[in-house]
Amino acid sequence: MTNFIIEAHNIGKNFDGLMAVDGLNLKIRKGEVFGFLGPNGAGKTTSISIMVGLLKPNTGQVFINSKDVKEIDRGIIGICPQELVLWEHLTCKESLMLMGEMYEVPKDLLKSRVDKLLKDLILEEKANTTVEKLSGGMKRRLNLALALVHEPDIVVLDEPSEGLDPQSRRVLWNYILSLRNDQDKTVILTTHLMDEADRLSDRIAIIDHGRLLKLDTPENLKKEIGEGDIVDIKTSNPKKNKELIENLSNLEQLNSAIEVNGRINVRALDAVSKLPLIMDKVEKVGVRISELSVRQNTLEDVFIELTGTGLRE
Amino acid sequence: MKFISIAIKDAKELIRDRRGLFMILIFPLFFMLVFGFAFGGMGQSNTPHKIAVINNDEGVYLPFIQEEINFGNNLTKILEDSKYENSDVNLFKVTKTNETAADELLKQREIDAAIIIPKNSSKAIAALISSSISPNTNLQSTNQISDNETATIIIKGDTGYVGFGISQGIIVGILEQYQDQLLFQIQSSLSSKSGYEQLKFIESKVEPLEGTETFTSFDFLAPGMIVFAILLLATTVAASLTREVEKGTLDRLKLSYMKSFDLLMGGLIPWSLVAAVQVIILFVVAVLIGFHWQGGLNSLILAIFVGIVGGIGSVALGMIIAAFAKTERQAANLGTIITVPTSFLVGAFFELPQVVIGNFMGQSFQIYDFLPWTHTLNALRTLLTFGGDWNDITYQLGLSTLLTLLLFILGVFLFSRNRLGAES
Repeated sequence: MTNFIIEAHNIGKNFDGLMAVDGLNLKIRKGEVFGFLGPNGAGKTTSISIMVGLLKPNTGQVFINSKDVKEIDRGIIGICPQELVLWEHLTCKESLMLMGEMYEVPKDLLKSRVDKLLKDLILEEKANTTVEKLSGGMKRRLNLALALVHEPDIVVLDEPSEGLDPQSRRVLWNYILSLRNDQDKTVILTTHLMDEADRLSDRIAIIDHGRLLKLDTPENLKKEIGEGDIVDIKTSNPKKNKELIENLSNLEQLNSAIEVNGRINVRALDAVSKLPLIMDKVEKVGVRISELSVRQNTLEDVFIELTGTGLRE
Repeated sequence: MKFISIAIKDAKELIRDRRGLFMILIFPLFFMLVFGFAFGGMGQSNTPHKIAVINNDEGVYLPFIQEEINFGNNLTKILEDSKYENSDVNLFKVTKTNETAADELLKQREIDAAIIIPKNSSKAIAALISSSISPNTNLQSTNQISDNETATIIIKGDTGYVGFGISQGIIVGILEQYQDQLLFQIQSSLSSKSGYEQLKFIESKVEPLEGTETFTSFDFLAPGMIVFAILLLATTVAASLTREVEKGTLDRLKLSYMKSFDLLMGGLIPWSLVAAVQVIILFVVAVLIGFHWQGGLNSLILAIFVGIVGGIGSVALGMIIAAFAKTERQAANLGTIITVPTSFLVGAFFELPQVVIGNFMGQSFQIYDFLPWTHTLNALRTLLTFGGDWNDITYQLGLSTLLTLLLFILGVFLFSRNRLGAES
């Protein structure tokens, strides 16, 4: 028996000539946090909208629990959209009660569920406050609560941390992990924040220009491009970056050297010990170092390795 | 009963959005006040017209009653005592003054008109009486009464001022009646030989449509203003529905078990109540500023019901607009572009030329009759302006309901197809 709760087969979506999603194939396991990583405009939200049946694809099909998405029980999905989708003139409690009623949650159960959600997402004190009077972080948490009031099997979180302060983000991350750990929910998370994807996701799909570039666990993705460190260099004369990269690429001790936004990223195991070699090449090309830093390999480096560029804003 | 939850949600949003609610209720009120003020209802009906009388009449001795009489005083008294029909309110508030002071009052528009009674007016009237009755009596002229005496009463005022126009019309009428009545009184007096009786002004007898004796243009406009307000609801409904689309809350609801019926029926209930409230508020304001309400409480209750049917038509129109508008602003603009000309087409502001295209149930059917609000307006006029009852509005209400139903089905179809399915 298949363990996949969502299967997307070759889905594609074209908006007036712009290919937002291009032949996407995905399988999402039940009970995992599945991360969609990609820059803004990569096609993450469009992919998710198709996968939950909000948007019709031009090509392909989506199955949820082996059923065509058009025929599924809508109650098994809960969506927390990227934008704050709230009724400004309703209170937190009224908003949650309304959505619960729309999902036909029995009245007595709904009341206790709403109270628990308000408590878990630290909105208890604002239960009877109208949405328009909430802070950005509170609105973001209510946005999430509205996706959960009917206790769906699949929770889709589209850029959930957007615009949140670190404290609110921490509350949200803990709650997302509790959804998987305590409630056995399948969570689909789209984000352009590397640390968010890295910390929360069991598996990550990296997409750009509507295409799936890589799909694996964060650890495997990082291993894929090799363990090690990144030496981030800014030279005095970026025009000679290409020449310097050619020289660095000839060194067997280094794994790779690429240009990212006018800087040179050199990847190597034990990078600090390779610095004299790197400096030698820098002198040979005839440039000076303006800035230099050494850091550990991150998901962003995986993305850069895969796409040859930095994340777009 | 998810539509009840949606109705409660919409009602809460409506009430808590004070600015929006203010606009919905106050904007049409503003129109009502402007039209009431402009078209004669507001404070002008049954209030005395201010005039000045400059009586230069020197009087005359009438030999046949052997008495000195001053017809100028007599006329002034009649002007002072004249009252509105079936009312205790005087037609004029008379200021007796001289010509210089009257001119000043006219310039300041403290008075609408000034009547200057010439010094020979009594003599002229005596001459008129003499010439009229002499063939039938043995009355002999005295040296005071000339056969060819004429007097010109001057009605003075600003001819470009509407107040003068109205007062002038009434004064001329009174003068003519006064002259006729004077003659009649003297002849009667002489033939019966009962002596001189105090001359009295007898009001003219007119037979207007029952209840419309004191009508102004505003009495026809007020129901139109109510229909205009009801029609404007379409703009607000369209903006409200488009806001749900634009903000994504509709997508949130679409993902739930909510059906199109729940959303649209839920929305219909509070908006229909708004229509009812609008009818009541606008009606009360209209009455306060001079609308001559005919009929009783029943007509008002029926009018509210008619207003609700009209309101449902507006909700349906709002759905149609929201099915195509992409943003709230676009919905508001599109709504205004549609509802304002529609208000004119249904005759809310003035009667349109007759464009009969056929007969329906024994009544002529005009091109405007395809719009449900035409019948809403006709029914409201029948009920509120002419005091009609249920029997008088059956045809109009029936057609209004039928057309509203068709419009609502179209609205539900278009909105559901364009907004409630998965986006393509």
